[in-house]
Order: sequence, then C-alpha cells, then structure tokens
Amino acid sequence: MAYTPQYYPGSTSVGINRRKHMSGNLEKLRDIPEADVVAVMGHRAPGADYSSTHPPLKEMGEPDCPIRQIVAPTAGAAAGDRVRYSQWTDSMYFAPSIPYWRSYWGAINCKGCDPGTLSGRQIIEARERDIEAYTKAQYDSEMTDVALCSMRGCTVHGHSLRLEENGMQFDMLARTEMGSDGNVYAVKDQVGIPLDRKINLGKPMSEAEAKKRTTIFRVDGIPMCGKVGARKYDEAVDALHHMWELRSKWGFRPE
Amino acid sequence: MVTESDTGSIQVEIIPSRFLLPATAQKLLNEIYGNGGIIRITIHGPNLPRSVPYGPGRGSPIDENRDLLIEVGGQAFELSVKVGRIRLELESEKYYEGLKAACERALPISFQIRRGKFFHTRQTITDYAKYGKVEDTRILGLIDPKAKQDRLAILSEENVAVHDEER
Repeated sequence: MAYTPQYYPGSTSVGINRRKHMSGNLEKLRDIPEADVVAVMGHRAPGADYSSTHPPLKEMGEPDCPIRQIVAPTAGAAAGDRVRYSQWTDSMYFAPSIPYWRSYWGAINCKGCDPGTLSGRQIIEARERDIEAYTKAQYDSEMTDVALCSMRGCTVHGHSLRLEENGMQFDMLARTEMGSDGNVYAVKDQVGIPLDRKINLGKPMSEAEAKKRTTIFRVDGIPMCGKVGARKYDEAVDALHHMWELRSKWGFRPE
Repeated sequence: MVTESDTGSIQVEIIPSRFLLPATAQKLLNEIYGNGGIIRITIHGPNLPRSVPYGPGRGSPIDENRDLLIEVGGQAFELSVKVGRIRLELESEKYYEGLKAACERALPISFQIRRGKFFHTRQTITDYAKYGKVEDTRILGLIDPKAKQDRLAILSEENVAVHDEER
C-alpha cells in the first residue's frame, strides 16, 4: 500500500487548507505570464541571460560521489545560475497563505530551495531559473490573493497593518494598485523600482473567498480550537499540545 | 481610568477599521471640522515616503505618495501619512455626540471611537529639544516624539508658539 503523508491535523477548513498547502495539491486560480513574473521579481530583464556563479555542471567534471549520482540537480543548479530570492508579505487579514505555510510549501515541494520565515514576510532563495518557476507557481495558485499578498523584496511592512479602504494590503512603496476596472496591477518590481508597463494580476478574492481559503486561525474567522465553546477541541490543538509536551520534556525520562 | 480634565475639555480617538484613502480622510476631517469645538487634532498612520528609503531601489520616486493634497476648513495641506487614527481634543462634552454622527456620515467603513487621555500635558526633554520652551501647551503630544518637526502642520488663525511659525 502506498504511503500517503499526513501533513497537518484537524478538520477545520484552515486545517484542510494547511494540508493542501503542504502537500502542494493546490488549485490554480490564474495564469500570470512568465515574463511578467520575472519582471516583478526584478532580478533580470525578461528574456535576458541568466547570470551564473559557476560553469554548467556537465562541463565542470564533478567528483565521483554516490550522492551526486543519486540526486539529479535542478535545472538552475545544472546550469550554474546565481542564487536569487522572492519574498512575500501576506496580510494577517485572512490572506490565503501565511509565512510558515509558504515555507512548508517550499521545503516540502520545491527542490533545492532555502525558505526563510520571518514574522511578517517569507523569503525563498534558490537558483534563478528554479526560483522563477517556484514564484510563478505561488503566484498562479490559491496560495496567493493579489490584494492580500504581494512580493516585497524590501520595505515589507504590511502583514499586521489594517487593510486599505479598497481592500488592498498597505504598501508604503505602492508596488501594486487597484485599477478602476477592479483588477490589481503591479506597477513596481519587488524592491520598488517602477516597471515599464503595468502588469495585470487579475481580480482579488472576495472577503468570503479569502476566509474560505485562508491558512490563518483567527477568533473572528476559524479559531484553532474549532467551534467556539465546543467541549471537544479540534485535533489541531491536541496535536499542538502533544508536540509542546514532547518539546518541553525534550527526552527527559525520570526512571 | 479616565481622569476628568479641569477645563472640561475631552480627548477622543477615532480608529477606522481600515486605512483611509485621501478623499475619505478629507471628507472625515471636514465633517469633524464642521462639527466644531476642536481645540487640537492630530492624524496618525504609517509613513508615506516620497522615494524608496532603502534597498536596491533606494531613491526611486514614489509618485503615488506625492501631492496628496487635502483641503480642510478652507486650508490645504499635504498628507504624509496614511490616515489610520485621529486624535482630537474637544472644548466640551457637548460636541461628542456630533462628532460621532460626523464619523458615521463620512466613513463608509466601521470605526471605533473612544474617550481617554491621548495628549501629554507636561513638556518632555524631547519636546524641549524640538521646540525649546513651549509657551502654548496645545503643541504637546501632537506628533510622534521621533518625528521631525516639519511633520507638524499648523492650521490655525492664531499664532502658535513654535519658533518656526512662518510655516
């Protein structure tokens, strides 16, 4: 019987969404052209060559190593690309993904990447052509709502601030804007340098839709204990308590 | 616990559930101004820099944050923050209900309004460093202690005792 990994406990919609994010079995909501993703990332001009830190692995003549024989390199590693990053800020007002879940998604599903979680932002580093593919996957899938999530290389402020009146996450550098047609447009790259054209990212999710897809537990949405006032807590809390207990004891066995 | 002021003035804080667009902020401030009885008022929120402050794009202009002019009570001034909170002092309690009604008229979103003590009354060392000896204590508590003095926009017919009052 094939083993199916069990990623996250609980029967709340947030628990289910967290499992979806970790398993990588995500719904695709939009298709942003690759050139547009590259432009928003801002590391290279769309169509330009990739800069490299070493020659392609085939030309380098690798040492005889059993691990290198088992593990096939990613496309970026094989070509010797530079390591680049994409960094996301997700609003705590029911953004579909929250920093830890982008990291879990990256660590479980993306080969050769280095995810980093911070309090209000999340960064993934990888070889350039790999990170471009991973970023496109994040942009296109239900991990991202174009109003509540945005790519921010610096001045990442926004996660824990109130939303703007039009439902956008606050951005000091105004990298994205709500168009009069209801679509969200990227007007700057992730570090705030203006793009030569506006990139249409599509329509944002409605508030109800964002609450349905979110991975954040909140008392005004889905609380971690499950139904408020229930005598039996959701399994997520039981599992958390179990982990907390094991971590606190840290192998202590008074025998 | 809220300490009642000797002068009968009350301090009020208005917190909308979202950050306000400049047009809504202008509408709200005008409604508050129309209600009357304001001794002093301050608007608070995250900074809107005119250019990218740091990172690889440092110095790139942010046109969206420039020329955010709003007009309140016939005087125009430039917004340098995203309006997220308004604190004000009213002459007396009788203006409070009108203020609530003004907020309800102007804001398309929910908001909190509460009374308390939001401005300090004694001069601090920071105030001394910034203004020298303050004669008019209405200045106290109007801006963030860390903010530069040019963040203070004084819209008043009367002279206010700040040494660069030509602004």
